[in-house]
Amino acid sequence: MERLINFLKYRFFAIGLSIVLFVIFSLVTYLSGGINWGIDYNGGVKTIVKFEKGIDISKIRSVLTENNISASVQQIGKEEHNNYVIGSKLQGEGETSEKSYQMIKKALDKGFKKIEIVSVETVGPAIGALMRKQAIYSIIIALVLIMIYLAFRFEFKYAVGAIVALIHDVILSYAFVGVMRIEFDVPVLAAILALAGYSVNDTIVIFDRIRENINIESKQTFTEIINKSVSQMLIRTILTSFLTLFSVSAIFFLGGETLHSFGQVLLFGMIIGCYSTIYIASPVVLWWEKLTAK
Amino acid sequence: MNKGMLYKGLFIFFIIVFAIILTLPSAGNKKLEITLTSDALPQEIQNIMNRFPADKFEVTKAEGKILVQAGGLKITDAVMNELKIFKGVKDVKILPHWAEKAVLAKKINFGLDLQGGMELVMMANFDKIKKQYITERDQLLEKKKLLEAKPAGKANADKDTIEKEIKDIDYQLKDINSNKLTDNNELRDPFKDEITKQALEMLRNRVDKFGIAEPSILQRGTEMIEIQLPGIKDPVAVKNAIGTTGSVQYRLVDDAFTSKTTGWLAANYKNPALPEALDAQEALLKKISAEIGLPKELELLFLYHRDVKTKKIFPSDIMVLQKKVALAGDDISKAWVGNDEYGALIVQFTTTTDGAFKFAKVTAQENRGKRMAIIIDNKIRSAPRINDQIATGSAQITGDFSLDEVNTLARIIQEGALPVDLTIASETTIGPSLGQDSIEAGITALVVGLSAIFIFMLFYYKAAGLIANIGLILNTLFTYAILSWLGLTLTLPGIAGLLLNVGMAVDSNVIIYERIKEELRSGKSAKIAIVNGFDRVFWAIFDSNLTTLIAAFVLFQYGSGPIKGFGVTLAVGIASTMFVALFITRFIYEVIGSRKDLKKLSV
Repeated sequence: MERLINFLKYRFFAIGLSIVLFVIFSLVTYLSGGINWGIDYNGGVKTIVKFEKGIDISKIRSVLTENNISASVQQIGKEEHNNYVIGSKLQGEGETSEKSYQMIKKALDKGFKKIEIVSVETVGPAIGALMRKQAIYSIIIALVLIMIYLAFRFEFKYAVGAIVALIHDVILSYAFVGVMRIEFDVPVLAAILALAGYSVNDTIVIFDRIRENINIESKQTFTEIINKSVSQMLIRTILTSFLTLFSVSAIFFLGGETLHSFGQVLLFGMIIGCYSTIYIASPVVLWWEKLTAK
Repeated sequence: MNKGMLYKGLFIFFIIVFAIILTLPSAGNKKLEITLTSDALPQEIQNIMNRFPADKFEVTKAEGKILVQAGGLKITDAVMNELKIFKGVKDVKILPHWAEKAVLAKKINFGLDLQGGMELVMMANFDKIKKQYITERDQLLEKKKLLEAKPAGKANADKDTIEKEIKDIDYQLKDINSNKLTDNNELRDPFKDEITKQALEMLRNRVDKFGIAEPSILQRGTEMIEIQLPGIKDPVAVKNAIGTTGSVQYRLVDDAFTSKTTGWLAANYKNPALPEALDAQEALLKKISAEIGLPKELELLFLYHRDVKTKKIFPSDIMVLQKKVALAGDDISKAWVGNDEYGALIVQFTTTTDGAFKFAKVTAQENRGKRMAIIIDNKIRSAPRINDQIATGSAQITGDFSLDEVNTLARIIQEGALPVDLTIASETTIGPSLGQDSIEAGITALVVGLSAIFIFMLFYYKAAGLIANIGLILNTLFTYAILSWLGLTLTLPGIAGLLLNVGMAVDSNVIIYERIKEELRSGKSAKIAIVNGFDRVFWAIFDSNLTTLIAAFVLFQYGSGPIKGFGVTLAVGIASTMFVALFITRFIYEVIGSRKDLKKLSV
C-alpha cells in the first residue's frame, strides 16, 4: 500500500511551470488592458433590468449603442425572468455614475415599452480608488498575519515553504482573474482572501507529517523523508481538496450571478493550491534546508 | 461507558438542544402584526391582504389588526418596511419569538442582497475643514510673531499680558499640531475618525426620524459611512430625507422683487400648484426673471413647505434672494428648540467664532427688518425676519410656531451644521424579487453541495462517513445558531460561506479518519488507533483552521456589505468545525472504542 513517489524529482519542472504560467497570465492580462476592475473598484453603474418577453440581448445592445452608451449587457437568472444586467464603467473625467445611470434609464425607457428596474448599483470614482487601495491592503494584511502565525508555529524552513506556496497561490489566482477577464469585484477579493486562508491547510498537514517522520526515522535523507511524507499524505490531500471542490463547484454552477466569479476564482485557487502543496511547498523547504546547511 | 463519558454526552445533548432553540427565531415561523388605522377603508385592507397570498402565508384578521404568519425567510424587515407605506397601516411589527425572550436568542439579520433594500455609502470630504485649520494655524503664527516683535521695556504688567497671550497661542498651536494636522498639512486620522463619528450620529438621527425599521448605519474606515435600509422602494425620498449634501446657506431676501414676483404669479400663473419637476421649475424661473427684469445680483428660488399629511415638501412660493451668501451652514454650530420669555416656542442657535462676525455684519442696522432665507440644497425652507443686530454669536428665531414647526426649523438649521461635507460615493438598490432569486440560488447550491459531500462520505467511509455527516449537520446547525444568537447578518456570500465551511469541515474528518486507518494498518488496536488518530492530528487541524480564521477576520474587518457576512459566517463556521471535529466526533468514537466487544473499526 505504502508506495513511494518521487515528487521532488519534478521540482524544477514544477517551478518552471508555475513561472511560465505566471508570465503568460501576466502578459495576456497586460496586453488586454490590465486587471478588469469591476464597478466596485472602478466606479460606474450596474443595473439589473427586467424586460418584456421576447426581447433579446441584441435588441438591448442596439438601443444602447443608438444612444451612444457603451455598456455591457448580459442575461442573468432564469431565462423566463427576462432579467438582464447592464454595466457601464466610468471612463472620462467628470463623468458621474449617477448621470450615466440616468442616461441608461432614459435610453431604455425610450427604446422599450415596459421595463422594470430590479436593482441599481452606482459607485462614484473616488470611492472606487479608495476601495482598490483597501483591497490590495487587505490581501497584504491577510498574508502578513498568516505568515506571522506560520513563523510562530513552525520551524523557519517550513514557514518559508508554506509562505512561498501561499504567495504562489494568491499571485497565480490574481493573474488568473486577469487572464480570464473576470471582473475584479468585492466577491473576487473575498475569494482570494478565503483562498489565502485555505490554501495553506494541506501544506500544514504535510509539514506536520514531515516533522513526525523526522522524529521517528534517522537513517533516511531529508529528501527521502519529504517524498515519503508527501506520498503518505497524498490520498488525504486529494480527498480534502476534492471534497472542498464539491462545495466550490456547487457555488460556481448553482450560486447565481453574484457568486459566479467568486466560485470561479475559488475553483482555480483550490486546484492550484493542491498542486502547490505537493510541488512547490516541499521543494522550497528542501532548498532552504540545503541553502542553510552549507 | 463510564461516568465521565455520560456527563460529556449530556453536555453535548444540552448544547444541541440549545442550538436548535437558538435557531427558532430565525428559521421557525414568524408573526407579523399589522395595526390598522381607525379609518382604514375596506379596499385598503384588501390591498394589504393581497400582499400575502394564502398559499404562502397564513393571514388572520382581528379587531383593527392583521396577523400574518409564515416560515423563516418570507417575513423580513424589508417586508415590514414595505408595509409601512401601505395606506391604512398605522404600525407594523414582527412579534418576538418566545425563544427570543427565553434564551436571549436573536433573529438572524438578512443582508440586503437577500431581502432587498437600499445601501448608501457616503464619503466625507475634509478639504474645507483642513483649510480652516491651516488658516487658523497660520493666523495664530502670525499673531505670535507680532506679539514677540513688540519692543521690550514696557511696563511689567504689559509684559505679563503679552506673555500670557503667547502662552495661550502656543497652547492652541500645540492642539492643532498634535491633534488636528499632520506635518504635511493633512488632517490626522483620529481627528477624521471623530468627525465622521459625529456625522454618523447625525445621520442616524435623520434616518430614525424617517421611521425605517432595522436600519444599519456603520462607519467604514475613517471617512466612509455605510447606511443599509431594508425594504426601501423609493431611494430618492430617502436620499432627500437623509439630506446628504447638507449644503445650507443663509441669504438675504429682496422684498421689492419678491412682491413683484408674487404679483406676476397672481396675474399670469393659473395653475393651482407650482411645478415640482426640475426642468419645469427652471423654465418658469427663467420666464419670470425675464419678465420682471431681475438684476444680475439677484436670483429666484422656490420656497418649500412640508405637507402635514404626506410629510413631503412641496414648492409653495417663489422668492427673490441676493446671490451673495450671507452665512454658510457650517457657520452655525448648534441649534435647538427653546422658549422665549413669554413661553412662545423659538429656535435658538449659536454660531462659530467665524460665523459670529459674519452674522453681526449681516444683521447690522441697514438690514434690520429684512428677511433672511434659509436655503437647503437650493430650496428655501424658511425666511425669518431680522429684528436686531446680533453680535454675540447666539441668536433666536421667533414667530408664530407650532411645536412641529420649530422642531423642523431647528433640525433644518442643525442639518447645516453637519460636521463635514458628505457625498454619496456609492448607491445600491436591490429589489425584493432579486433577493428571492438569490436566496433560491444560494439554497440550491447549499443543498446540492451538501448532498454531494454526504453521498461521497457515505460511499467512501461507510459507517464512519455517516458519523462524519452527522458532524457536518451539527456543524451547520451550530454555525446558524451562533449567527442567530449574536444577531449577525446572513448574506448571499454568507450562504456560500456556510457551504464552503462544510467543504472545509469535512477535511478535518478525512484527516482524522485517514490517520486512524494508518494506525490500524500498523497493527494498533481499535481503541488506541482512535486515541492516536485524534491526538496526533490535533495540531494540524488546529493550525490549518487558524490560518483560515485569520483570512476570515481580515474579510470581516476590511470587507464591505455582503462580504462582511461571508467573513462572519466563515469565522463562526471554523470555530464550530473545530468544536465538532475535535470534541463531538471524538466523543462518538470514544463511545464506540469503549465497547468491550469491539474488534473491527470501520473507517
